[in-house]
Amino acid sequence: MKRRLIAAIMTAAMAMSLLAGCGVPKSNSSGGSSGGSGDSGASGEKVFRFSTRTEPTTLDPSKGNCIPDTELQNALTERLVRNVKGEVKEGIAEKWEISDDGLVYTFHLRDAKWSDGEPITAEQFVYSWRRLMDPETAAPFAYIGEYIKNGRAVEVGDVEPEELGVKAIDDKTLEVTLEHPTAYFLSMMGLSSLFAPLRQDIVEKYGKDFAADAEKNVYSGPYVLTSSANQKWVFEPNENYWDKDSIKLDRAEMSYVQNQSTALAMYEDGELDFSEIPSADAPNYEGQDHTYRNGNVDYFYYNCDSENEAMNNIDFRLALNYAINRNSYNELVNNGMFTPSTGLVFSGLSGVEKTYGEESTLKGYPMDGDEAKAKEHLDKALKALGKKASDITVTITTTDSDSAKKQAEVCQEMWKTALGINVEVNQVTYAEMLNRQASGEYEIGWGGWGADYDDPYTYLELFKSDSPYNYSKYVNDEVDELLTATQTETDAQKRMDMLHEVEQILIDEAAFFPQAEREVHYLVDDDVEGLNFFHCSINLDWVYADIVE
Amino acid sequence: MRKYIFKRVIAAILTVWVLITVVFFLVRLMPGDPFTNPKLTPEVRENMESYYGFDKPLIVQYGNYMVNLIKGDFGYSMKFTNKTVANIIGETFPFSADLGIRALVLAVSFGLVLGIVSARNRGKGIDFFCVIVAVLGTSIPDFIMGAVLQYGFGIKWGLLPVARYEGIEYTILPACALAFYTLASVSRIMRASMLEVASQDYIKTARSKGLGEFRITAKHQIRNAIMPVMTVMGPTVASVLTGTFVIESIFAIPGMGKHYVDSVSNNDYSMVLGMTLFYGVFLIFCNLVVDILYGVADPRVRIGER
Repeated sequence: MKRRLIAAIMTAAMAMSLLAGCGVPKSNSSGGSSGGSGDSGASGEKVFRFSTRTEPTTLDPSKGNCIPDTELQNALTERLVRNVKGEVKEGIAEKWEISDDGLVYTFHLRDAKWSDGEPITAEQFVYSWRRLMDPETAAPFAYIGEYIKNGRAVEVGDVEPEELGVKAIDDKTLEVTLEHPTAYFLSMMGLSSLFAPLRQDIVEKYGKDFAADAEKNVYSGPYVLTSSANQKWVFEPNENYWDKDSIKLDRAEMSYVQNQSTALAMYEDGELDFSEIPSADAPNYEGQDHTYRNGNVDYFYYNCDSENEAMNNIDFRLALNYAINRNSYNELVNNGMFTPSTGLVFSGLSGVEKTYGEESTLKGYPMDGDEAKAKEHLDKALKALGKKASDITVTITTTDSDSAKKQAEVCQEMWKTALGINVEVNQVTYAEMLNRQASGEYEIGWGGWGADYDDPYTYLELFKSDSPYNYSKYVNDEVDELLTATQTETDAQKRMDMLHEVEQILIDEAAFFPQAEREVHYLVDDDVEGLNFFHCSINLDWVYADIVE
Repeated sequence: MRKYIFKRVIAAILTVWVLITVVFFLVRLMPGDPFTNPKLTPEVRENMESYYGFDKPLIVQYGNYMVNLIKGDFGYSMKFTNKTVANIIGETFPFSADLGIRALVLAVSFGLVLGIVSARNRGKGIDFFCVIVAVLGTSIPDFIMGAVLQYGFGIKWGLLPVARYEGIEYTILPACALAFYTLASVSRIMRASMLEVASQDYIKTARSKGLGEFRITAKHQIRNAIMPVMTVMGPTVASVLTGTFVIESIFAIPGMGKHYVDSVSNNDYSMVLGMTLFYGVFLIFCNLVVDILYGVADPRVRIGER
């Protein structure tokens, strides 16, 4: 009797389990699920499957504001030029002239088409750039358009968007006037969808819902977006793309996988063709992994406005810098995965001929630190301050992430041991950290920066007194003058020398506490070819990827 | 009954209003704002603030929000700038609900069976087994459960996909991982309640009347013992169906769970409010359903009402 009851309940339960979900909208992967573990070979289709840890925030080309946004748009939009791994190539423009003063660019457009077959015209660039700078649009990265004449005035609402320094001479000719000669203008434009053309008819048709999903836009780039549903983005080649012969894939699928261990598991299981490796797992993949550097640098700021007088003493800051053993730091904090650094500018940036790092003559702090020198500077500082080392307390304010905690604790330990001073660590949320950087409520603070464009200025600007990014309230007239001069200098070598000089001043003044350059470790299937990696805006450029047998 | 439901609905609307009001002002007290990106310049920030109406006094913003809300407009997310809050919930909720229903069916059916079986066999081997399941289920955190299932069935044995949610085979592991805790707690509650009911006079009466064990268990014992399980079902249904951060993150399921955490850490005000409102209304609704079901299961509740 009893058994029959149990059996009855069990049967009912199982039946219900099967039924469950039937009444609920099922995931419609809209051609997305590549047939179970279907790799490229199975169906003969060339499919590249990868994941993103950060969800793209928007599909509107003008509103992108993070790496995933830019990477996604890199496949969907075509700019006047295309930046592939630092090399500027033709895009919609097949040729261009630059005026002698470096201010006026004239672009000659090729016969290119949108994914719906409409022609791409100069007027569509004008529309897009005006929209980008229009305060009504509230584009998060509009400041990148301040390089265009009147960009800033439009952005703050002083003049109408029509005053922006961009005009269509005719359908196929676009004239751009810059605020000042900008050595990296083409390179920057080639990386960012903010400079892509837009279709006024499409934008106005959808209004606020423009690009809300894959169907609500048309595409100028190598791929079209066929689905953006269910946190998975499906790309297929754009039949109307001007350079469609260079595109080898039949499809690319990007899934949002927040958890890095999950992404790795999916890779192991053959559900992804590419995966980043979380730093904790990196030692397990030695020999199989590949690396690229994403241009992010880790360092600490010091707050020039802080009331801690020790921090305002150059020798004290130099002592702190000499006391850091950056090789040990890198082992302890990053499992040895990053590259220790004593500079601010990411060394892999493009220089004049080679990379910035290779051309650099910087005299930085020794990677292993120098305890004797640290003590020497400390003694000088103590004399000037009239204090004992044990009387000095400095506080590191950092974020609440695990890595930030390690970062602060390792420096704390090194400073305590080498210098005998007191170091406290104060952890706050990321948002609060940014607040404090802006309001100046810290002594030594977490800092990190990535390049917005492939030029040292993007890092050095952090120490220009009138820069919105001057989080340490650093003021040095010489630095300001040099940086301003680099904006108008048209001789590439002279300009680069000035930038090196600025960085040397920042190091000599111990204006910050450099630590490491980040490195990303990843796994990729052997049959995937043609992936490009770059250190700014677009870390992973899979546009030219191919699956080979 | 109708009057009772009417009263409950009015109370629910008031509760939701208080909830929204409190949350509206509380989110503004969080450090930072939705534009916590170190790259934003003050000019851009100002433009974005006026775009979202932050330049108006807070009370005006509150008024606007409430007016829009009554019109059914939750506004645009401040992080995912070209999506509305309703849009995001509409896209993610079906996944969470689908997963939740599967997990719930598993948990409740097996949980009840385990509870009943172990109570009927108190002190025997099978009871011991059920207790172990219950202890494990309530003490193993879901992220461990999820990771273990994922590693075992997904990677090691390759039987099931390790992540995503793209077909029936994808749903099994996350549903099991999610069900485990509820299953364990349902079985524990059911077992305790069964034992308590077993010593009641009416069970003795039934037995002395000469009724068979099956009829006693099915008709008298289970029906009375199920009340405490129903009590916990309201909040359980609400929380399981509206997504869980951990399980969805481990299995990369495009559900709602992550938005509870991310909207707060992103200071995405409209999203926080939308999620709170959605969850709040859903929870209140579930509790209301449970209250009505009480009346069905237990005549004393109905009589009490009159």
